Amino acid sequence: MKCFEQLNPFAVAVYYLCVLGLIMFSMNPLLLAIALLTSVLSAVLTGTANGRAHLFSAIVFLVAAVLNPLFVHKGVTVLFYLNDRPFTLEAAVYGLSAACMLTAALYRLRELSRVLSSDKVLYLFGRFSPKLALLLSMTIRYVHLLRVRYRKIQDSQKALGLYDDGNLIDAVRGRARVLSILITWTLENGIVTAESMESRGWGTARRTSYAVYRVHAYDALFMFVCAALTALTAVGVYHSEVVFYPVLDMDLLSPWGIAGAGAFTLLSVLPLTINGTEAIRWRISISKI
Amino acid sequence: MIVIQNARLRTVLRYIIPFVLIPAAVILSAVVFEGQRYLIVSLGIAALALLLFMTGFERKNIGSRRMVITAIMTALAVFGRFIPLFKPITAICVMTAVYLGAQAGFLCGALSVLISNIWFGQGPWTPFQMLAFGLIGLFAGYLSRFLLKHSLLLILYGVLSGAAYSLIMDVWTVLWYAGGFEWKLYLSAILSAVPFTALYAVSNVVFLLLLKKPVGNKLQRIKIKYGV
Amino acid sequence: MAHIDIQNLSFTYPNADEKALSDICLSIGHGAFVTLMGATGSGKSTLLRLLKPELRQNGTLAGKIKYDGMDIENNGTRTVGYVAQNPEEQIVTDKVWHELAFTLENLGAKQRDIARRVAEIAAYFDMDAWLERDTATLSGGEKQLLNLAAVMTADPELLLLDEPTAQLDPIAASRFLSTVYRLNRETGVTVLICEHRSEELFALSDRVVVLDRGRLVYDGTPREVATSAATAVDAPDSPFMGFLPTAARIFHAVNGRGELPLTIREGQRFVENFDNTVRSLNDEAVIENREEALSLKNICFCYERNGADILRDLDMTVYRGEVFALLGANGAGKSTAAAVAAGLRKPYSGTMKLFKKPLKSYTNGSLYRGNISLMPQDVESVFIHETVGEELKYCEAVIDSFPYDLRPLYSRHPYDISGGERQLVALCKALSSKPGVLIMDEPSKGLDANAKALLRDIILKLKGDGVTVLLITHDVEFAALCADRCALFSQGRIAAVDTTQRFMSGNRFYTTAASRITRCRYDGAYTAERAAALIRRNGGAL
Repeated sequence: MKCFEQLNPFAVAVYYLCVLGLIMFSMNPLLLAIALLTSVLSAVLTGTANGRAHLFSAIVFLVAAVLNPLFVHKGVTVLFYLNDRPFTLEAAVYGLSAACMLTAALYRLRELSRVLSSDKVLYLFGRFSPKLALLLSMTIRYVHLLRVRYRKIQDSQKALGLYDDGNLIDAVRGRARVLSILITWTLENGIVTAESMESRGWGTARRTSYAVYRVHAYDALFMFVCAALTALTAVGVYHSEVVFYPVLDMDLLSPWGIAGAGAFTLLSVLPLTINGTEAIRWRISISKI
Repeated sequence: MIVIQNARLRTVLRYIIPFVLIPAAVILSAVVFEGQRYLIVSLGIAALALLLFMTGFERKNIGSRRMVITAIMTALAVFGRFIPLFKPITAICVMTAVYLGAQAGFLCGALSVLISNIWFGQGPWTPFQMLAFGLIGLFAGYLSRFLLKHSLLLILYGVLSGAAYSLIMDVWTVLWYAGGFEWKLYLSAILSAVPFTALYAVSNVVFLLLLKKPVGNKLQRIKIKYGV
Repeated sequence: MAHIDIQNLSFTYPNADEKALSDICLSIGHGAFVTLMGATGSGKSTLLRLLKPELRQNGTLAGKIKYDGMDIENNGTRTVGYVAQNPEEQIVTDKVWHELAFTLENLGAKQRDIARRVAEIAAYFDMDAWLERDTATLSGGEKQLLNLAAVMTADPELLLLDEPTAQLDPIAASRFLSTVYRLNRETGVTVLICEHRSEELFALSDRVVVLDRGRLVYDGTPREVATSAATAVDAPDSPFMGFLPTAARIFHAVNGRGELPLTIREGQRFVENFDNTVRSLNDEAVIENREEALSLKNICFCYERNGADILRDLDMTVYRGEVFALLGANGAGKSTAAAVAAGLRKPYSGTMKLFKKPLKSYTNGSLYRGNISLMPQDVESVFIHETVGEELKYCEAVIDSFPYDLRPLYSRHPYDISGGERQLVALCKALSSKPGVLIMDEPSKGLDANAKALLRDIILKLKGDGVTVLLITHDVEFAALCADRCALFSQGRIAAVDTTQRFMSGNRFYTTAASRITRCRYDGAYTAERAAALIRRNGGAL
């Protein structure tokens, strides 16, 4: 079954670039409200965020919403005074929008981190430079290796009676010693890796970069749809300009504004739609058998 | 696709980016956006700077041993973020730069951020962080002669880079949140971050002092043994 | 024309008095399978590296090496593949498919060509199912197969293998060697392999070449080499005796005549020639009223709360002053058992006692200072300092008791000495706390026959001093040499435990070569020496 997560990493990256770009740079309250709702929906449906993550997002939302009116006193509609400082409606609306933006972006970024696994990140960056792709790949291998070795060193140092974790200073010194052994072990044996590279032709020709990902027609189609929806949203945002200070002035429900909001909604739920239709098609094809 | 396999294109990019694209981006931001879209512009500049460096890296012939050592040091910096009580990322980047040169320092800083963010969360901050840590490594590499000779300078570098990192990242936080630069917000952000900045600077110094001799000796030995 | 032609090759390392190789002449034909043998330091690796220009070390070289009549320098990466000892460190990238693509990427191949070759190699080596895996998750044997496969992607004409199975368990080693053999037969690639596993290689290779201190001493078919090595005047003390297959060693020990046996089957036929009225040596010592040193009762352990149990109701008792070997396949959980027994991992149920006191009643300090010590599998995890002298600062007493003098190594860096020496330094450190129980995890890994013999002497000496030794190993031959009792570990518990003699005789498959050769005729002849002794008692030579 082909789902959103299996698209070419470029298509995935383009999608998040579009969505995050619109979320972060539009500052249109309607759009941001849609963004928050759809990103929460997506997080719940895909299981990206657990209870703690939702709680964290809620706290971020509250703090961000309150912070702006407390510090910024622009705007003419004063709601009340706090310590002789005006608390204005304009600043509050701006704060709420910013909070929506921040929270929605956090949800989307969490999703991005889940979808873009290490090999996809590597693929994306590797396109710029085959050598860099290799360096990244080597580094990731070493990160795994270091984890395993760190554990082994801790064990053998402990069994030699050299590892105390009685107090903080001992603990830090113990860790420093383990780290020191880890560095020596890995650096000294690195020569074998270097020789293995050399004996397999490193530096003999201009390097190419092999990737298991291919670009298919539906990747291109997907990117085209993304771009089109983003363009429509951007035009909509441009035509329904929002002014916060000194007086709120926004025409969110103009034809352009509605078109932009609609396009953005479609864009936001695009992955859910793809996965949903695929699931339905799968059911149908199963029932035919 | 933007596969830059073509050597000539890479060479062209190397000159276009610093001399045409970056100035153009700055002018564009001033004229078109009237200074409204700092974030887009700064993000673009950070990405371009990284791209510039990557094209430079691809052009060079790098020995396998240098590749391996750089990968190991970068992995150590990434791994350092996982150890409780230990955040030696800056110290490791600086040590790498001092012993292996500015390029290795930049790579160690930038790539360790990119890779560790796979676990700690990628975001629009990634290019900034990459650039920030990359530059910490890069300058340490340029200053390696002085940093190696005087421990005091090394400590100073640790403090300054820690503080500079926090100050720059706070600018970015404010830009993102407020859409433009607000001095008050910035000051409050800096003030609220003072404990973290201080802790960060202190830990930089502690780890630089702690790692300087052992890691320095190891790298020195490896350099001789490998003939790097 | 010969594939490789080595003419009067000599090589001296910088600052070395003696030549590492002197006057080597060797000509190898296309498609040959040649085994290169010799003790550590005999120059095998040096010779192999000289055949691969990229891996040449500094030094002065005299003589000529030619490939197909051409000078070696004109040959590129494509034609010579090289696989070294350490499976882990030769891997460059993080994914299996990337590792396979690595060589071709370096050569600047196109996407389409790489895709095709990767698929082809994956199918041939049966690794299609693990293409997407992280290289870090592979076992040692899988890693080494991956290294071989990755080298083969460039389609080399010559394959150089430098002790490729030294770090592997017997099963993985067998699989690796048979893959190499298959490559040789099916693709015609010339194979030059340095190895100690003579039991298998004497059956597989067309030719065996033996080096001693930089000189080529024997060269011929496996049977010719084994015969001339065994019949040489100084044969009994000759360092090559340890490298010969068990059947040949038995043959030699009883001054056998006729054709020299190399394999188990030939050995069985040779032994059938002798009388078997005396079936066993009847020398099994019976020890009674033994005191328990370490006992584990109903131990259960798993790494994650909902994970599978690694140890399932493990019961194990090690008596004071004995050498106890825990044998079993790789990945069965032997090392975990060692870590639990050493108090490094806490079991979730069961009781453990050390010298009759519950393990829990010891503090970290009292446990690891004087009572128990662990020599880990990866001895690199032990070294802290920059010289061997500093490492062994507090180990004077131990060093004096060693049959091998470590003092000349004092000024060297722990990573600049040989693997066997490193093992000894680590052992010294583990013994410095004067432990009552010493746990050794795979101590014979990567050692050649002579180093193993030295290690056995040390273990037996420790036993004489009253130290209880728990050996964790997959090396049956080594366990047979030094253990009093052996246990077979499987499915998280001990499936069989017995005295070494009864254990080796009772097992049909998981036992020593000597035991397999003699099992129809004699009981308890689980080493070549014991088999020879029994034959002699039954009437001796033909």
